Amino acid sequence: MANHSTTSSHSRFQQHHFVDAEQQFDAAKMGMWVFLVTEILMFGGLFAAYIVYRLWYPELFVLASEELNTLWGGVNTLVLIGSSLTVAMAIKSAQLNQKRNIAINLGITLALAAIFMVIKYFEYTHKFHLGIFPGEFYTFEGIDHPKANVFFSLYYLMTGLHGIHVTIGMGLMIWLLVRSTKGHFGEEYYTPIEMTGLYWHLVDIIWIFLFPLFYLID
Amino acid sequence: MSGHHISTDKTLLGVAGALLILTIATVGVHYLHLPNPWSIIVAMIVAIMKGSLVAVFFMNLYWDTKFNSMLLLAAFLFFGLLVGLTLLDTLFRPEVIPSF
Repeated sequence: MANHSTTSSHSRFQQHHFVDAEQQFDAAKMGMWVFLVTEILMFGGLFAAYIVYRLWYPELFVLASEELNTLWGGVNTLVLIGSSLTVAMAIKSAQLNQKRNIAINLGITLALAAIFMVIKYFEYTHKFHLGIFPGEFYTFEGIDHPKANVFFSLYYLMTGLHGIHVTIGMGLMIWLLVRSTKGHFGEEYYTPIEMTGLYWHLVDIIWIFLFPLFYLID
Repeated sequence: MSGHHISTDKTLLGVAGALLILTIATVGVHYLHLPNPWSIIVAMIVAIMKGSLVAVFFMNLYWDTKFNSMLLLAAFLFFGLLVGLTLLDTLFRPEVIPSF
């Protein structure tokens, strides 16, 4: 630790108020985890609403879930798991200083995120076509339950907020791709990839819970 | 601090493989149409297993400082409080308010 700051070898991204790059990295990561806590609690409010309504109207959730396509929900689950793998691979590539592999893995992650959103787009437009809108805009008559719109309000709110997170994640992946082609990342410095990775894994975990809660109800 | 653990391809692919198998398993169990409470219980146990795999290995909590794991557990603790206290109201209403 001693005299570390006198060496000229440290990363150009190290800020002067940190002792060393290690401390800067750990501080950034702890900050990111605190942010993820606030994310969990934001989604937590919606999950709480889901639990309340599912306990009030258990039969509604069984009926309405029939309108969701288990196959596409399952495919999207696998797409997100794959993208979590590639983002972890991008971090490993940075740690091993394999600069080309960082960009390749980030590119695959971005493509998988785009596939997820395209599938979600087709799921949404199919429902809009049937008149399945949230709340008072609901006009579908295929579900014999007076509260059918409540299920889809929850569906659109929860998958919609999740979709916004995926879209933001795609923006972050593009930013990382641009920076990686400029050669910013390597074994010395890869903090932005690590932080975006943590965010991306959390978005994956939330989908891991949304999938059985909406698509897999008997 | 071990904030720079480098995962091997074997670990990463192994975790992804386990997630794939668990996803297929949870869809498979769905088509068995288990009797009422068990369907959701099995689905949630599988989801918790999958989420834990992602958090522990992909998010590196296994090798990370324990403080970050504590933050994650605190989030779920407070989520539990939110749901628990809300249900103390909504489960014990004599009648559901019609406009809800």
